[in-house]
Amino acid sequence: MKVLAAGVVPLLLVLHWKHGAGSPLPITPVNATCATRHPCHSNLMNQIRNQLLQLNSSANALFILYYTAQGEPFPNNLDKLCSPNVTDFPPFHANGTEKARLVELYRIIAYLGASLGNITRDQKVLNPNALSLHSKLNATADVMRGLLSNVLCRLCSKYHVAHVDVAYGPDTSGKDVFQKKKLGCQLLGKYKQVIAMVAQAF
Amino acid sequence: MSFAQTFSFGESRDSVSRFGTTSCPARPHRPPRSLGCPLGPAGWPAGAAARTGARCPAGRVFGFHFSFPGLAHFLSHRTAPGRGVQGPHLSRVPPAFPVDPKEANSCGSRRAKRAQRDGKLQKSSALCPPPRLSRNSRPWARAPQLIHSPGAGPALHVHTRVRGGLAPAAAAPPKSRPGSRSPLPAGKPEPMALFAVFQTSFLLALLSLRAYQSEVLVEPLPLTPESLNVSIDSAHQYLNLQWSVHSLAYYQELKMLFQIQISRMKTSNVIWVGNYSTVVKRDPVLHWSWKSELPLECATHFVRMRSRVDDAKIPEPRFWSNWSSWKEADAQKSLGRDPLFLFPKDKLVEEGSNVTICYMSRNQQDNISCYLEGQQIHGEQLDSNVSAFKLNKVSFIRKTGTNIFCKVDQKDVIKGIVLFVSKVLEEPKDFSCETQDFKTLTCTWDPGTDTSLPKRSSQSYTLFESFSGKKILCEHKNSCNWQVDSDSQEMYNFTLVAENALGNRSVSVLFSLTHRVHPKTPYNLFLKNVSGTKATVTWKVHPIGNYSTLLCQLDLLGEGNVIQQHNVSIKENGEYLLSELEPDTEYMARVRCADANHFWKWSGSISQKFITAEAAPSEALDVWRNVKSVSGRPTVTLFWKPLSKLHANGKILSYNVTVENLDRLSGLEVHSVPATANGTELTLDQDSYQIHVTALNSAGPSPASVIVVSGDPGNEEVEEERVNGTEDGFSVSWKPQSGKAIGYVVEWCDHPQDLPCDLQWKNLSSNTTSTVISSGAFRPGVRYNFRIYEISTERMAYLLEKKAGYLKELAPSDNPQVVVSNLTSHSFTLSWKDYSTDSQPGFIQGYYVYLRSKAEKECHPGFKKATLPDKSACCQHRIDNPEQKTFVMENLQPESVYEFLVTPYTSAGSGPLDAFTKVTTPDEYSHILIRIILPMIVCVLLIMITCYLKSQWMKEKCYPDIPDPYKSNVLSLIKSKENPHLTIMNVSDCVPDAIEVIHKPEGSKIQFLGASKSLTETEFTKPAYLYLLPAEKNYSGPGPCICFENLTYNEAAADSGSCGHFPVTPEALPGQPGPLTSPENLLKALEKNYMNSLGETAAGEASLNYVSQLASQMSGDKDSLPANPPEPVLCSEYKMQMAIPLGLASPPPAENSGLSSTTPLDQSEHYR
Repeated sequence: MKVLAAGVVPLLLVLHWKHGAGSPLPITPVNATCATRHPCHSNLMNQIRNQLLQLNSSANALFILYYTAQGEPFPNNLDKLCSPNVTDFPPFHANGTEKARLVELYRIIAYLGASLGNITRDQKVLNPNALSLHSKLNATADVMRGLLSNVLCRLCSKYHVAHVDVAYGPDTSGKDVFQKKKLGCQLLGKYKQVIAMVAQAF
Repeated sequence: MSFAQTFSFGESRDSVSRFGTTSCPARPHRPPRSLGCPLGPAGWPAGAAARTGARCPAGRVFGFHFSFPGLAHFLSHRTAPGRGVQGPHLSRVPPAFPVDPKEANSCGSRRAKRAQRDGKLQKSSALCPPPRLSRNSRPWARAPQLIHSPGAGPALHVHTRVRGGLAPAAAAPPKSRPGSRSPLPAGKPEPMALFAVFQTSFLLALLSLRAYQSEVLVEPLPLTPESLNVSIDSAHQYLNLQWSVHSLAYYQELKMLFQIQISRMKTSNVIWVGNYSTVVKRDPVLHWSWKSELPLECATHFVRMRSRVDDAKIPEPRFWSNWSSWKEADAQKSLGRDPLFLFPKDKLVEEGSNVTICYMSRNQQDNISCYLEGQQIHGEQLDSNVSAFKLNKVSFIRKTGTNIFCKVDQKDVIKGIVLFVSKVLEEPKDFSCETQDFKTLTCTWDPGTDTSLPKRSSQSYTLFESFSGKKILCEHKNSCNWQVDSDSQEMYNFTLVAENALGNRSVSVLFSLTHRVHPKTPYNLFLKNVSGTKATVTWKVHPIGNYSTLLCQLDLLGEGNVIQQHNVSIKENGEYLLSELEPDTEYMARVRCADANHFWKWSGSISQKFITAEAAPSEALDVWRNVKSVSGRPTVTLFWKPLSKLHANGKILSYNVTVENLDRLSGLEVHSVPATANGTELTLDQDSYQIHVTALNSAGPSPASVIVVSGDPGNEEVEEERVNGTEDGFSVSWKPQSGKAIGYVVEWCDHPQDLPCDLQWKNLSSNTTSTVISSGAFRPGVRYNFRIYEISTERMAYLLEKKAGYLKELAPSDNPQVVVSNLTSHSFTLSWKDYSTDSQPGFIQGYYVYLRSKAEKECHPGFKKATLPDKSACCQHRIDNPEQKTFVMENLQPESVYEFLVTPYTSAGSGPLDAFTKVTTPDEYSHILIRIILPMIVCVLLIMITCYLKSQWMKEKCYPDIPDPYKSNVLSLIKSKENPHLTIMNVSDCVPDAIEVIHKPEGSKIQFLGASKSLTETEFTKPAYLYLLPAEKNYSGPGPCICFENLTYNEAAADSGSCGHFPVTPEALPGQPGPLTSPENLLKALEKNYMNSLGETAAGEASLNYVSQLASQMSGDKDSLPANPPEPVLCSEYKMQMAIPLGLASPPPAENSGLSSTTPLDQSEHYR
């Protein structure tokens, strides 16, 4: 045993030596601001791509469901009421680096998530019987939350980006009902347009 | 969608004041001729008159007419400096239009009364339409008139009016109408002038005194509204006014009337004028609101007001203050620069109300169209860029609101609003309160329609009690619990208020608590001492107060119906004895209670089922019997009807049948029959027996039913009569025979065609001679037999009459099976003797015989022409006797086809006319032929039988056997004497005429696989013959020949079924011309083959087979044909007979032989 203790253990230590070995373990990681609660999935980018595809595949149905539930004049005046001219929508550049695209995606999803929350809240009041619309909005919001988490995980783990400044859309709580409907329609139209581009970029 | 649109804007209608009550507004700018007082430039009472309190010459007090030019001047000295009488221009200033006081005062009350009458809630401020000016309210009709006389200076003409009418002016004579008579002649003024001077002097003195007193007591009241401020509440479309009134110097509070004018777009466009009356305190800030129908964003509004003291403390007359300056309310400034605006946003209205929608465009050139639920709506243009739509009586469409939108045609601009229409808030219905325990009052109501909308909750309910002043907010929409605090309050006055965002509805109820007692449901309901006819019911109730008595209702129900009902007054415990019950019967006792003193409501019910005890059956069984003889012994079958529940008094356990012999003294024979049976069978002898039948339940037996039967069946030979059935049944009547009957019994079967036939009977009294037998089992087309029995005093039954009938006769459904007999060339006989007339669906009255023939067009005598359902004609013969079941068809034509049909008929019709039977009459001479042919046939048969039996003899005579040469005596003789190898004949002795080479197909095939290729299939497909004799001249070319075996030579060969058939290929002929053309070569070849064959065949089994060949077109040996037979070749020559070994006949030739040929055998091979 003594031989083992004298020869093998130091040998193992030497074989597994690396920088910092022997020093006290840090309480927090080196980059404390970019800590994730759970380890990121190994195939994170693939999961992000799938989530984007999932959102893209359901965006048009959500858009149709929304403007149908609002009644006339929305279904027949999509170009005037639901045109995707949302001024403060975060930009996205498909030809940027992966990091830049991920940061922009994070901003977009954060923006969309907040806006979807507003729309869901408004529609539960304005169209309480449109259950399929509520279900679709909730499902989309759920996927967006997962996507946001995955993007953050990717940014943090690979690019050590711990913080992204995000912007949110206007709060619709003080607006009149028709304006709420219109803003929601514009946002979903924009979402349908943007998510297709983003999904293609990834 | 019933948005009725009207676009007429009555400005004066859109007025609702928010606070206080308003008096009716006056119509603006109606120019009066004058007011009762001289007015200043702003309409304020002018000068000294206002100051001194003698502003108006109180005409009704004094009734004088001032006509002195100096009087005004005198009065002007009483005014404040600078406020002198303005002279003639006074009358030019348009004063404010006075309000008809009656209308102004009564408007609010009228509205209130109307609202009460309509059952609607009265708003806190009444909306009054602009008052109409009545004739009495016209100022010139009653107010003193200030008339300007040019050149004469100011002159005050006062027409005083005594209450109820105008007093004639004394100083200035009224203008006399043409033709009217003046009281004083013109031109004689002297006496009147003196009187006038005196009168004026007296009046002036009094006036001076009065003016002095007024100046001391009353200060002037310049209560002009100040600091008027207007703000906009866009959401509710309110203009909120705020102002103040100062200078209430001598009064703590003063009732004032404010007149408000509202203009739209420009000040001159006054759209509403209204009064607002309120009590003003010292330095108050007053508020008032006006609701606009038009959204305030669409137009600028202007407001001004003036005031007037309206307090009893201030003596009349009272005067309006000056108008305040116009205040502007403009909501458009904060709208932004959008090209189009649509208002109001998110408007919430009640169903049936009117809504005004407006849009405002920045560009006048834009073409704007607006839509509601897909339909374009058209409005009224208020301004160059403002249009409004009025939707009248909007209806509820959906809770989520209705989109209304406008779009600019040239631009991609759409603006929209959502209009929410709620259901009308209904007054709560069926509002009532009650208590169960004097501790809690429970009020319930029907809430009606739910008026909730998105973001608008449904109506809430508040319960208010006026005596105690308490109020609670109800948690439920249809009920509310009110705690009764003490016993002191007896009376309650509840008001239930339903309220939502648009208004409220209320309903009240006043009651005494003791009159609203709803007891709790009784409990502990039990039944005890339950016997067959009685039972005791006990129950308990919850006590209500100390002295309350409850009235309880006890119901006894049987089979769901109330049988008995009893009322019992109790405090806490109830008990009642129920009687007159039926034994073994299920009942239900049900109890409910109410306040005995003041009935309000029954409590809930409690019930309990119970079954009374059993009792002995109360009635004897209804028994009947059927006597029949089985193996010579009378057998009695007893039937009885089960006792009804009413008479059974319990569950029948069994039946006891006691048999007593009346002719001989013997013991009683008791039979116990199970309860499930309703009859039994007894085998008796020829004696008479008395039978007692009783039913037993747990309480005892029923009274006995007695019947006497005898072995003698009695007179059964009674002629059967017919009885007609009706819808009610069969009416059966009979004639009494003995006159000693104690009753009668009618017996029948419900299902006479079944076995058992479900025997039924009906007991009738002795004085009855007819009855109607009805049964649900009776069916049309079924024959029912009725037997009427007389019951003698000995209780013995004697058959009186038999009846048979149908409830309704039907036409026969089947035709009889007809047998044709005695068929001759001129007649045949039809017979249907098996046809039963009793089992038909009606009484058979006869038969129709139909006959038709293609040969005969005329009917035979006795027949008449008839037409069948298929329109074909035939002959009909009618048989009226139902028992005649044969018919002879006569006068027929021989060798003719006749079709006949026999069908029965009843009173309802005949049987089916579908299946005719064909009969062909024979030829007249056919019988002669039969007499000749039959013997001949018999003879031939005899000969054939004889030949068959004597076939051996026939053979010997006709074709004897050919003798076997081997068995010839000659052969044995030669064998024994000479050469043992000598055969019958040598080849050299018999020159064959032809040799047939026969090909064996199966064998050849196998052999030729390994043979030389010169022997191809084509070479073997055609047989070839070697023509050895020139005698066959006519034969040319190869052809198929059929060999036959002479089976008489060898039986074994016959069994094989084959013969050697050796085809020779034509090609082989030239190849072997030499050897085979000579007999020697041929024999050699044959010998060689034969030797090979022998080598394969056992020597002991070898036998000979004689083959004789005869040309034929058909071959009987299929084995001799090749697999692919060649074209048949005719061969008619007779061939020689040869003997070949049996083994050579069927097996294929040797593999190396290629050819087979029949040759005369070598001697050594033929001998064993």
